[in-house]
Amino acid sequence: MAESEEEVDVLVQRVVKDITNAFKRNPNIDEIGVIPCPEARYNRSPIVLVENKLGVESWCVKFLLPYVHNKLLLYRQRKHWLDREALVDITCTLLLLNPDFTTAWNVRKELLQCGVLNPEKDLYLGKLALTKFPKSPETWIHRRWVLQKILRQSSAAGCRKQQQQQQQDEAEQADVGRSQQLSDHLARTLHQEMRVCSDAAGRYPSNYNAWSHRIWVLQHMAMGNIKVFHDELSSMRLWVSMHVSDHSGFHYRQFLLKEVITELSHSSGNSGSPEHRSSTVLSSSPNHHSHSQANGELSGAEAADEVENQLGLSAVFQLFHQEMELCTDLIQSFPGHETLWSHRRHVFYLWHHWRRKHQHHHCNSTNGGSNSVHLNDSEPGLQKPAVQGSEDEEVVNRQRPAGEDMEVDRASLPDSRDSKRLKRGACPPTLPLEHSFVSRILDSCCNPEQRRFALAYRKWLDTVIGQQP
Amino acid sequence: MGTQVKDVIIKPDAPNSLLLDKHADYIAAYGSKKDDYEYTLSEYLRMSGIYWGLTVMDLMDQLPRMNRQEIIDFIKSCQHECGGISASIGHDPHLLYTLSAVQILSLYDDVDAIDVDKVVEYVKGLQQEDGSFAGDKWGEIDTRFSFCAVATLALLGKMDAINVDKAVEFVLSCMNFDGGFGCRPGSESHAGQIYCCTGFLSLTGQLHQVNADLLGWWLCERQLPSGGLNGRPEKLPDVCYSWWVLASLKIIGRIHWIDKAKLRLFILACQDEETGGFADRPGDMVDPFHTLFGIAGLSLLGDETIKGVNPVLCMPEDVLQRVSLQPELLS
Ligand SMILES: [Zn+2]
Repeated sequence: MAESEEEVDVLVQRVVKDITNAFKRNPNIDEIGVIPCPEARYNRSPIVLVENKLGVESWCVKFLLPYVHNKLLLYRQRKHWLDREALVDITCTLLLLNPDFTTAWNVRKELLQCGVLNPEKDLYLGKLALTKFPKSPETWIHRRWVLQKILRQSSAAGCRKQQQQQQQDEAEQADVGRSQQLSDHLARTLHQEMRVCSDAAGRYPSNYNAWSHRIWVLQHMAMGNIKVFHDELSSMRLWVSMHVSDHSGFHYRQFLLKEVITELSHSSGNSGSPEHRSSTVLSSSPNHHSHSQANGELSGAEAADEVENQLGLSAVFQLFHQEMELCTDLIQSFPGHETLWSHRRHVFYLWHHWRRKHQHHHCNSTNGGSNSVHLNDSEPGLQKPAVQGSEDEEVVNRQRPAGEDMEVDRASLPDSRDSKRLKRGACPPTLPLEHSFVSRILDSCCNPEQRRFALAYRKWLDTVIGQQP
Repeated sequence: MGTQVKDVIIKPDAPNSLLLDKHADYIAAYGSKKDDYEYTLSEYLRMSGIYWGLTVMDLMDQLPRMNRQEIIDFIKSCQHECGGISASIGHDPHLLYTLSAVQILSLYDDVDAIDVDKVVEYVKGLQQEDGSFAGDKWGEIDTRFSFCAVATLALLGKMDAINVDKAVEFVLSCMNFDGGFGCRPGSESHAGQIYCCTGFLSLTGQLHQVNADLLGWWLCERQLPSGGLNGRPEKLPDVCYSWWVLASLKIIGRIHWIDKAKLRLFILACQDEETGGFADRPGDMVDPFHTLFGIAGLSLLGDETIKGVNPVLCMPEDVLQRVSLQPELLS
């Protein structure tokens, strides 16, 4: 084992070089790790490359880390000169061993700014560090910085394109190709980032940093791209079903649900421009119908809005319905998981608020006319939302055509009837249904945790939901 | 998938009385026996490490055992041209360590050892248009940094240097349906972030914006059968999360909603009877971080052998009285 300072010096420089060479030899290294090995083996490098895995023998780490650490700090204090290549190598070794060393990432940010490093290379280094340190806050922070740099670069390229558009056709053609390349590049980066997050989430349960990064990525790289959100939502379905304790994974799903529902509601005319909003709302009000019909026919645009509105709303109902079914299924299959009950609260809360917001909105803007009445006309399975919580009943009773009163009662009917109803159409959650779900769990389950969570959920329904105006 | 409860079992022979002398010895000796490797690994947060050690010593009324001059000199050499302070010499400045440094200097009643005006400029310069704060010049945004910014300025009596209304607006935009807060808008509620956000709202006099009953509910649900508190659902109990949850409950006036006696037993069980110090959970390795939050937690729970701790700044109440800082608490 190396002892004297010079010996350590020689040893460490060789190891740093070995690491650099390993990356040159195999650019597809996909995991790093420390190999337990208390003593050096004669004449053998402590850097081991097996297939795509890079290992460092544990005995050398305690020499290696302080050495590269101090070297970088001396450079930072301008007491020791390092050329750019050495800086790249040293920060790489350093960050693979201690990825929360903020200043080392900052050195790389500077190298990126002056073009010595490229962004992809740093995303790759971070990805490797995360295979051993999946939570490392500084690694995630650096990733966001790099991604923002990529985003800035591509939006700058976008601006150049616009400026050039006045020029000749050929240049324009080339530019179209270039901008296509750019958006392909961004799509690939986004996709890659999702994979890095999934991988880190798999390595450490309820990985706050990985999941909040994933939300950040969607917020910054996919806003308005509803397909990405839909794809994420559907791929997360399987993931959460296999990770029923992962509160962060479920939170991410809640985030996706909220975004998708906002988007669907938008298409049904509730979050667009005020003018657009009021026109679509009016076109879906029965009062307005009779009014327009008295004056002639619905305009083509109104009819199209109408269809869109219907599709959006029934998709929202469908989503809530499916999510509650998934939640019921998981709670029954995996009793005693706080995460699942917390998810149920969140989904119910989302639904509760969505419904209130929409109902409130319609009542205000159509002077008593309600969207739910209109929905009743077209889709028998969709009338439930207006018929739940007591605070709504007055409104509902005022608007509902006579003869539909039995719908109110159905909400409190036993399960067999409910499930028949479910088959007929997407049936969103209601307070009575939630209460009967809790009772069913309490009647049938003797798992003490499950009972505790069920009782807490009941109390939450009564106090948080029940007491809201 | 089984349904094993995510909690610890406290053994009957676990420590159940407070070993103050051991803890003071542990902290006093901690800095001196620095193993090269361990020291290197944690140097990136050295300034916070010193704050943890000194604060817990002060809470135990043992601050004179630490080397005041050495520490103040160290802090001076960590202040940069931009005014910000770094974790250690040669590291880059950051809001996290700027706050730690100002906290340490407040303990020592010597904030003028550094260039205070420059610190204020540094903090001010990190506020963004939307009111949020970047942690350093590279621009990462987090509600933790909002807390660091206002805590630093509050200790220096310079809160008016920033746009407080905008800062509040941003923190409130990180509030979730469960009453909690995350690191950014849309992020999951997390006990550490909740501590930062309730602390922030306390320092800015905006606690009425919190839904105290709803948040209190969520925080109380962090208590597990062992008595310990976790930071999020289905995580293990931990002494540091016990502090963050407990301090948040204190700030919003709901500390009586948890079982204090049980929490005290959990914290006491995390002591190491031989080496002194507290671990995250019974039987784990101790460290200064969990030692501070163990002692601070016991103080909030009313232990009279420890100085009173302020739940917002995690510093002794007598220090805050000296700088005439009384953060708002809900009752
Ligand atoms: Zn902890």
